[in-house]
Amino acid sequence: MSVNTWIIVAGDPAIGNLIDTARSLGGSVSVAVVGPRAVADTVAAAGVDKVVWFGEPGAVPAEAYATVVADAVAAATPGLVLAANRASDRVLLGATAARLQAPVLAAVSSITADGAGLVANCSVFGGIAEETVTVTGPLALLLEGGPVPAASTTVPVEELPATPLGITVVETKPSSFEQVDLGAAPRVVGIGRGLKTQEDLALINALADAAKAEVACSRPVAEGLDWLGKDRYIGVSGAHITPDLYFAIGISGQLQHMVGVRGAKTIVAINTDPNAPVFKEADYCLVGDLYALVPALTAALK
Amino acid sequence: MKIVVAYKWASNPQDATVGAQGTVDWSRAKPGFSEYDPVAAELARRLADATGGEVIGLTVGTKRVDATLARKAALSRGFDRAVIVADDSLEGAGSTQLAAVLAAAVRHIGDVDLVITGDSSVDVGSKMVPTVLAGQLGWPAVAEVISITGQAGALRVERAVPTGTQVLEITGPVVLAASTDAAVARVPGMKDILAAGKKPVESLDLAALDIPAAAGTTTVTGTSRPDLLTRKGQMIDASDPAAAAAELVAALRGAGAL
Repeated sequence: MSVNTWIIVAGDPAIGNLIDTARSLGGSVSVAVVGPRAVADTVAAAGVDKVVWFGEPGAVPAEAYATVVADAVAAATPGLVLAANRASDRVLLGATAARLQAPVLAAVSSITADGAGLVANCSVFGGIAEETVTVTGPLALLLEGGPVPAASTTVPVEELPATPLGITVVETKPSSFEQVDLGAAPRVVGIGRGLKTQEDLALINALADAAKAEVACSRPVAEGLDWLGKDRYIGVSGAHITPDLYFAIGISGQLQHMVGVRGAKTIVAINTDPNAPVFKEADYCLVGDLYALVPALTAALK
Repeated sequence: MKIVVAYKWASNPQDATVGAQGTVDWSRAKPGFSEYDPVAAELARRLADATGGEVIGLTVGTKRVDATLARKAALSRGFDRAVIVADDSLEGAGSTQLAAVLAAAVRHIGDVDLVITGDSSVDVGSKMVPTVLAGQLGWPAVAEVISITGQAGALRVERAVPTGTQVLEITGPVVLAASTDAAVARVPGMKDILAAGKKPVESLDLAALDIPAAAGTTTVTGTSRPDLLTRKGQMIDASDPAAAAAELVAALRGAGAL
């Protein structure tokens, strides 16, 4: 059974993983693109069969196109609709799922088609268990976007006239934090509530420099304390990463955090509490004060 | 302004136990007002107080979402009243089904200007219900919302985006999902809990709501425990930091991790 797939893009063409998933099901691969024309052109050169685009958005955010995208995709009666797990993309996927009355599955590790329908394996309830779900009828999936696909054959971009809903961007303020792509970092140093003050991040930055690693954190450090940007937060609703090496420093290792780093090849844990759950999921365990161990480790790496 | 807060009465997976076959046992996990929903309730209360509006708490789920404890816990969060759809046929309902029931309840409430939700639910956490709810209503949704000001039909909403924040002007009804740290929610006091018992609650009959049929069937055909990587669990004596650091670096180099 082959399945015709639509991919929904809300301004970010980093959908390599979605295209691969759609291709694996053997049917046609179409993409509905909201955003600047350059995004549609990038997608049109990414080895897909069809691209529809809803015109230059100007100051209109992607969310305002929710109903026109849902109408356009539903009219094509897709078997599967995919979107990357990003805020605006989720809005367009949700609108389309509603129009199709299709279920939505997230944290999906595989999808196949058999005679009974689509069969998806997904991680559920924050990663404590996995389910195999069989769906008859259309299905909407949230997937990690993956890289911007490389150019191959180019298909024409079909422009569909669209009347967006009433939302306008009237002001844009840049973030005070530098952006980071944790997913691409081979080594990551994660910091948690064991760090006492924001100034102490200097210790962690020094270790990250010595280890050629990116700095990441558990949720409270980015949300609430605001010591680091939200894109550095690892956990169930944050980044899910698979680096070669992960240092969990001053992180207790609750499920909500660990689910984001379980794919790391090697995990080092430093914590004062010998009973911290992080030690159950670490390869190298150091029970001690991070304020003594981190500078020593930085020195040893130099 | 008529503001609906769509909240969830749910358990934290951290407190659930998972059997060898991946079946999840929630019996020892006490349900509560879902982790991020107090932020939504707080934003709604502040906006209603600033504009002379009304805040209606709305939830759907099994019968347990309509228990006295659940009602009081919700109504102590600053809602003026609550609307509840409690039916055991909603056990295990997915995002699309829950959103369809929420949408039918929002239509039943009538003349709603704004629905506010938390960032994600404590149990499922896919952040999809607000977006599908908006889709069911034909409204837009905006997530990662930091602040909401203005009037019905002329809302000014600030939301976080990867590059910073954007201020949006929104002219029609909308579903807004609050960022986890958009507001520090008040902790309900004894006065709030006592007052909660006197606030009106409307229980809606699921069968009487106009809910579109699902396009197909969704069946869980298997469960399993997550396949965790086997970890070495090697203890390194940290009593001498310099020696511990040297031993760790040597071990990492030896294992090819550095």
